[in-house]
Amino acid sequence: MTVLEVSDVRRSFGGIHAVQGVSFALGEQEILGIIGPNGSGKSTLFNLLTGLVRAGSGKVRLLGRDITGWKPHRIARAGMGRTFQIPALFVNMTVQENLYAAAVEGDWKTARQRTGQVLDLMTLGDLRNELASTLSGGQQRLLEFARVLMRDPQVILLDEVTAGVHPTLRQVILDAITRLRSEGRSFLVIEHDMELVRAVCERVIVMDAGQVVAHGSFDEIAADKSVVEAYLGVPTQ
Amino acid sequence: MNCAAAMIPGTRWQQSSLLVFLVVVATVPFWADDYWTRIFTGVAMWSALAMSWNIMGGYAGYISFGQVAFFGIGAYTTAVLMQKGPGWGFFATLPVGAVLAGALAVLIGWPVLRLRGAYFAIATWALAEAFLQIATAAGFTGGSSGLTLPINASTSFFYYAMLVPAAVTFVVCWLLLERSRFGYRVKAVRDHEAAAESIGIDTTRVKIQAFAFSAVIPGVFGGIYAYWITFINPTSVLAGDITDQMVVMALVGGLGRIWGPALGATLLYLVDRQFIASFGETTAYIAVLGGLLALIVLFLPDGLISLFSRGHRTALSRQLLVRLLPGRGGTTGRGGRL
Repeated sequence: MTVLEVSDVRRSFGGIHAVQGVSFALGEQEILGIIGPNGSGKSTLFNLLTGLVRAGSGKVRLLGRDITGWKPHRIARAGMGRTFQIPALFVNMTVQENLYAAAVEGDWKTARQRTGQVLDLMTLGDLRNELASTLSGGQQRLLEFARVLMRDPQVILLDEVTAGVHPTLRQVILDAITRLRSEGRSFLVIEHDMELVRAVCERVIVMDAGQVVAHGSFDEIAADKSVVEAYLGVPTQ
Repeated sequence: MNCAAAMIPGTRWQQSSLLVFLVVVATVPFWADDYWTRIFTGVAMWSALAMSWNIMGGYAGYISFGQVAFFGIGAYTTAVLMQKGPGWGFFATLPVGAVLAGALAVLIGWPVLRLRGAYFAIATWALAEAFLQIATAAGFTGGSSGLTLPINASTSFFYYAMLVPAAVTFVVCWLLLERSRFGYRVKAVRDHEAAAESIGIDTTRVKIQAFAFSAVIPGVFGGIYAYWITFINPTSVLAGDITDQMVVMALVGGLGRIWGPALGATLLYLVDRQFIASFGETTAYIAVLGGLLALIVLFLPDGLISLFSRGHRTALSRQLLVRLLPGRGGTTGRGGRL
């Protein structure tokens, strides 16, 4: 079953074509990796999917519903959660308050219980009363991931979630992804860490200059000439 | 007594201090002369006004210079309705002023709250200026000649007329901003608007709700103030320095804190009155105020309240003031990191 369907999505900023006709589908319990050099349009694609940036054209369907043009909060409520390339925390609030802020629906008692569960999953329980701005870079990544989980989304978009993270915390993130996938969640993962991509992603799409230049299994794309060129440049004769 | 004490947070010493404070505040007209009762009347009013500005400025992260417009609406509503023609009673006019101020905030908030940083500040300043000009030109406001209200000479009446709504303001703000989901949403908008949207918070709705809430309070106090001073004109209830006072009181006391604005208002209003009592009408106070503000932002960015509380240090005043600098505040309302 397809949970996310992206069809010919495009977006330009002035003369720069940030995303040019990207299409792909994400299946249930699938982890799809998105790789590509800096500036290839990966994060812009996330912004388009989550409604932070409006698509110029194309369609996005989430769990069978056309969410093209929806506002970000509606998309989040429809079942899509995301992290940002630079952790986007509520820096003047505590760890616990960051999670409470995400409990926008339902009763308060359930929200508190959910907060406890999510903090345990992300090993942040001892830091619940610490200010978010005082956390280490890795802990901030964990907290942002934890905040996404408060809404229990079906589709989770992770933007370089292990960048600059200590190996111990990186393993916490990997374990969480594995566990959540086994519980039915699907993931879109932007990563530069190829070990991680190889370890968790069933399929990988490669972007360059706003376009998908290759897709397939990790081994397939690793052997693809266009991927090597995108990352290393065209060899000079 | 034990039951009441259990509901109040803090140590037994803090609870006892709070009780003494409440008794002292509630009995001011019985132990203070008319002069000091009037001073404390002003303290109550400015505390609530600074708190109302703090809802948007401190909690939602939107620096507004238009708060005086809502104060003026409340003042003119009471003044117009208490004229001989309509002949309304004083208390009946207050809800009308509050509703009008709140409704205007919703109407204005829809377009204006798409702006951020300096752009939002300028838009709200322009709103206040527009109201100043309208009140000067319109006939029903009395134009620059103003309006005279019926006289009530009771000092005690106005003390309690200011104190009770001020107390209600602080309790409601505490409940809504520090003890409810709404408060978390408002603070999430302040810290990172895009992230708040991405976790399902309808930021437009939250901002408009906060803006309307922050407008209702000066809407009420404008009405009480008009009746208190018995004569209003555009410069007495719509001048920009009324907003400036709210901003400075909140900054000095502590942004984004419940008791910060009250502390700032108390200190600055008392200093202001003492300056006038000692030196007459002088602008020296403004220079002192500027120096104090600079010192606070530099050395005590969490405001004077941080001297008394062991809460987290966030330097919120610096973070929010940086937003007023071109290129640092964002323009689209999507927001970024502070």
